[in-house]
Amino acid sequence: MVLLLDWLTTAAMLYIVTAGLMMIFGVMKIVNFAHGALLTLGAYASFVVTQLRLDPWLSWPLALLVGVVVGCGVEAAIVRPLYKRPLDAILATWGLGIVIGQLIVIAFGRGVQFVDAPLQGTWSIAGLPYSAYRLVLIPVALGLCALLSGLLNGTRFGVKTRAVIMNEELARGLGIHSGRIRFITFALGSGVGTLAGGLITPLSSVDPDMGLPWLVGAFMLVMVSGHSMLSLLVTCLVFGACQVMVSTYLSPVLGGLTIAVLAALTLRIRPQGFAHG
Amino acid sequence: MMQALLQLKDVSSGYKASLVLRKLSLSVASGEAVAVLGKNGMGKSTLLKTIMGYLPKASGTVHVGGQDITRLGPHRVARKGIAYAAQEHALFTELSIRDNLRLGLAKESVFDERFAEIEPVFPVFKTRLKQFAGTLSGGEQKMLLVARALMMRPSIVLLDEITEGLQPSVIERLAEALLGERRKRGTTMLLIEQNVPFALKVADRYLVLKQGEIVDEGSAKAATAAQRIFDHLRV
Amino acid sequence: MMLLGLVGIALVVLGPWVFGTYLLNILIKAFFFAIVAITVDLLWGYTGYLTFGQSAFFGIGAYAAGLVFAHAGFTMLSALAALGLAVAGTALIGALVGWLSFYRGASPFFATVISLVLPIVLTQLLLSGGAWTGSSSGLTGYETFELPLEAWYWIAGTALALVALLGSLVVRSDAGQVLKAIRDNESRCTYLGIRTSRVKIVLLVATAVVAGLAGFGYGSFSGVVAPELSGFVLGTEFIIWVALGGRGTLWGPLLGAVLISVASAYLSSSMPFVWQLVLGCAFVVVIVLLPQGLMPLLIRPLRRGIAGEPALVDRAVRALVEQDAAQALVMEGVAKQYGHLKVLQGIDLTADGGQLAGLIGPNGAGKTTLMRCMSDGSERTAGVVRLCGHDIRTLPPEQCVRFGLGRKFQNANIFDTLTVAACLRIAGSVRERPALFACSPVLAVPSYALEVLRVTGLAGKLSAVAKDLSHGEQQALELAMVLTLEPKIVLLDEPTAGLTKTERTQIGSILSSLALRHGLCCLLVEHDLDFVHEIATRIVVLHQGRIAMQGSFEDVAHSELVKTIYAGSTHAAQEAA
Repeated sequence: MVLLLDWLTTAAMLYIVTAGLMMIFGVMKIVNFAHGALLTLGAYASFVVTQLRLDPWLSWPLALLVGVVVGCGVEAAIVRPLYKRPLDAILATWGLGIVIGQLIVIAFGRGVQFVDAPLQGTWSIAGLPYSAYRLVLIPVALGLCALLSGLLNGTRFGVKTRAVIMNEELARGLGIHSGRIRFITFALGSGVGTLAGGLITPLSSVDPDMGLPWLVGAFMLVMVSGHSMLSLLVTCLVFGACQVMVSTYLSPVLGGLTIAVLAALTLRIRPQGFAHG
Repeated sequence: MMQALLQLKDVSSGYKASLVLRKLSLSVASGEAVAVLGKNGMGKSTLLKTIMGYLPKASGTVHVGGQDITRLGPHRVARKGIAYAAQEHALFTELSIRDNLRLGLAKESVFDERFAEIEPVFPVFKTRLKQFAGTLSGGEQKMLLVARALMMRPSIVLLDEITEGLQPSVIERLAEALLGERRKRGTTMLLIEQNVPFALKVADRYLVLKQGEIVDEGSAKAATAAQRIFDHLRV
Repeated sequence: MMLLGLVGIALVVLGPWVFGTYLLNILIKAFFFAIVAITVDLLWGYTGYLTFGQSAFFGIGAYAAGLVFAHAGFTMLSALAALGLAVAGTALIGALVGWLSFYRGASPFFATVISLVLPIVLTQLLLSGGAWTGSSSGLTGYETFELPLEAWYWIAGTALALVALLGSLVVRSDAGQVLKAIRDNESRCTYLGIRTSRVKIVLLVATAVVAGLAGFGYGSFSGVVAPELSGFVLGTEFIIWVALGGRGTLWGPLLGAVLISVASAYLSSSMPFVWQLVLGCAFVVVIVLLPQGLMPLLIRPLRRGIAGEPALVDRAVRALVEQDAAQALVMEGVAKQYGHLKVLQGIDLTADGGQLAGLIGPNGAGKTTLMRCMSDGSERTAGVVRLCGHDIRTLPPEQCVRFGLGRKFQNANIFDTLTVAACLRIAGSVRERPALFACSPVLAVPSYALEVLRVTGLAGKLSAVAKDLSHGEQQALELAMVLTLEPKIVLLDEPTAGLTKTERTQIGSILSSLALRHGLCCLLVEHDLDFVHEIATRIVVLHQGRIAMQGSFEDVAHSELVKTIYAGSTHAAQEAA
C-alpha cells in the first residue's frame, strides 16, 4: 500500500515538474535547459513567502507569477533568436540557468533552507499514515494535465500555437500573430516550471542546486513521452513505478539513475517513445 | 471606372545584397486577374513575397485599397484580406485538412458556412476533414491551398505556381474553380505561372518579368498573347 | 595561423622560465583540459554532434590512473596497466555510446541526450563506489610519476601541440571534409554510400581515447581524482569553452580552454560568484549573437587566402560487364502500406542497363514512394528488390549505393558549406578513399560527370561554395555527384524541376548518353511529358499504386487507359477495377 502511494505521488511529482518543460519543448521544439533554474527560482519564491511569514498557500501563485515574468524576458531576449538553432537553444538556456543560479546564490547565499508546507501532517489511508501534502499533489497533477491538454487541443489558441511551430512563415501568412503566440506559450511554460518548484519544495529543502537533478530526468521524460499531455502522464506513471521499485528494492542511488537509463534505452529501441505510431 | 486595388510603385527588393526586383510598378484593378510569367529566377516569387511583407522593400510602396501596407508584416497583410499560397511548404502537413482550412479564418464560427460554399468545387475533402494534410497527393494538396484561400473570402488572391506538378485534369478543375470565384465574387487575382495556357485562360492581363523588371504586358485574350510570351520564355 | 602557432610553441618551450610555479600548475591542468576541448570541437564543431560526455572519458582516464596507483601502488608495470586501462576503458565505453547514439534514423537530439546521461551515470557509479573509488572525496595522495613541474609542463604542452596539429591536419584533409558533409547533410552522405554511423562511431572512439589519455595525464600529474572530473558540469564547461572560443576552428577552443581555465583559477578566489556570472552571461551572449565564437572575430584580419583548388581529371570508368547490364533492377511483388493506406501494390518491374525508363503518372500515384523502395531496404512492406542481382532486403541506402545505385533528389541535395570540389570528392569517396592527412591536388571524376561539369560551367567554379550557386547549378552539381559514384542504376526525381529551357536540353542529352553510350540503367520520374518523349526508351505508367501499363511512348500516349488516367482519376478507377 505504501508502495502504491509512493508510486502515485512520485508520478505526480514527476508530472508536475515536467509539464512546463513539455509545454515548451513539445510545442516549441526548444529544450529549456534553464528549467532546473526555474524550479529553483520557484522554490526560493516559496522560501520568501516563508521568510515573510505569509500564508504558505500564497507560494503557489507567487511562484507562478515569478515564472511568467521571467519567461517573458527570456523569450524576448534569448529564445526568440534561437528558434532556427535548436541545439544552440539548449546551450543558451543552460547558460541562462547558470546565470540565474549565480544570481540566486548572490541573493540568498549557498545554504540549505526550508520552507513551510501549506498542508502539514499526515492523513490516514487504509489505516496507514501518509504525508498529506504528498497526497495533495496527485489531484494537482491531474488538474494540471486536464488544464493544459484542454488548452492545447481544445482551444483555437492551441491549434494556432501548433501551427506556428510547424511553419511559422505559413502561419503568419494566414494572419496568425506568431510572435505573440510564442511569447505566451513560453511564459506559461516557465510559469508552470516555477510553480512546480514551489509545489515540490515543501517535501525536501531549498538550495541553489536543487533544480539540476530534476532537469535531466524531466528532459528524458519529455523526449520519451511524445507530444501530448496525456502521454506525458502515462510516461510519468510508468517511469515513476520503475524508479520507486528500484529505489525501494535495490538502492536509492540506482533509483536516481533509473529514469535516465531507462529513457535512453526506450528511445533507442523505439525512437518515438510512447507517442502514437 | 476601374480603381487599382493593388498598387506597387517603384518597388525594389531582394535577398541580402542582390536586388531581384528593380523599381517595379504595377497595378491590379479591382476584380481583375493578372498573370505574371517569366523564366525561373526572374523575380516572380519574390514579387509575391514582397507584397506579403516577407521581404523588406529597399524602396517603393505597396498600397491595397488605398492603404499603405509597405511596412506591414505578413500577418497584418493577410488580415487586410489577402490570401497567399506559396510555391513550397504552403500547408501544415501534420495538421488535419480541417485545421488547415480553419486557420485561415478570422472567426471559427463561419467555418461550416464557408466550407459548404467551396464544397461543390472541391468535393474530395468533405469526407476527409480529419485526414492529415501531409498524406494527400500533390494535386490534392494544391487544391487544398486554393480551397483555403477561397474560404478566406479574400479581396486579393496571390497564387505562386499553383499548377506546378499537376496533371491536366486537375489543372482544368483549378482553372474552373478560379474562374468561378471571379464570376461569383469578383475577386482580384495575381497569379505566378509557368503554365501559359492556364495563365491565359484564367487571367485578363499578363505581364512578363525579366531580371526583376516588366518587359512585356498585354491582354490575355489577345490572339498574339501566347506567341509573344513564348518568345520571351524561349531564349 | 602560423604566427599564432609559433607563439604557442614558444610559450610551451620557454614556459618554465617565464611563468611562476602557481601559473605553471594551472597551465598544465589547462593544457590537459584543452586537449579535451579540441576533441569536443571535432565532434561538435566539425561533425555536428553536440556532446556533454567527453568529461566522462576524461574522468575514466583520470580514475584509471588514480585507481591503479592508489590500490596497486606505483611501478612501471602498474603505470603501463593503468595506461592500458585508460585506453581500453575509454575505447569500449566510446564504442558503446557510439552504438547507442549513432544508429540508422537516430535523431541528433537523442545522441546529445545520451552524451548527457553518460557522465551522470558515471558520476553516480563513482559516488557509490565506497572505499574503492573514494566516493565523493575521490582518491588522493597516491604515488605517481616522479617528475619535476617543468617536465610535466613540457609533456602537457607537447601533448596539446601534437593533438592540435593532428586535428588540424585531419580537418583540412580530404577525409576531414566528410565530417563537415555529415554535419551539413547526413542523408545525402548515406545516399553516396558513406556509412555515416560507422564514421561517427570511429570518430567518437578515437576522441574518447584521446580524452582518456588527457585524463590519465591529469590524474597522474595532480595526484587527486574526484567525481567532478567525470561529471556533467565539467562536460558543459568544455562546451562553453568551445562555444566562446569558436566552434569549428580548433584554435578557438584551444585558446578558449586555456585562457578561461587560467582566468577562472585567478578570479575564482577573489570573486567567485561574479566570475561565474560573467562567464555564464558571456556564454549566453555568444550563443545568441556570435555563434561562430570570439576567436574568429579576432583572427579575421590575419586570415590568409583561400586554399588552392584541385585540378579536374578524367577518371577511367569501369567498363560495365555484360551481366551487370541485364536485369539491373528487379522488383517483384513490391508493396508499401502505411496502416490501412496502400500506397503501392503488386509492383513487378524490371529494368536493364542501357534503358532510360520514364516513370509517369498522376500525383498520388506513388512515384516517389517507388523510388524510395528501390533505394532503401527498409521502406517497402512487401516484395523483393534486387539491384544488379543483389537482394537489398532491409539494408540501408549506403548499402544500396554499394550495389550500384545512385539517386538524385528533387531538391538540390548537396553540402551547403563545402566547395564544389569538396562535394565531388566526397561523392567519389566510395570509389576512392579520401586522404586522411593530405589534400589531393587532383580530383578524378568519371567522364560523364565531367561532361555535366563542363556543359553547365561548374568546371570553372570548383572553389565556389555550394550554397552560393544558382538553383540550376546546384541541380547540376548534385547530378555530377551522383554520377561520380559510377552507378549502374540512376534514379532521378524530376530532374528538370526549376530549370530553364537550355538547361533542360543539356540535361536531356546527358541522360540519353548515359543510357545509350555508357549502358547505365536510368529511371526518371517526370511531369514534363515532352522531355520524357525526347529521351525515354520506355515508359512506365503508375496509377493509384499500381503499374497501369508499360511500353514505348507511342503505345502509352495513345492508349485509352492513359488518357482517362490523366483526364480524371475516378473514371480510371472504375475501369481498372
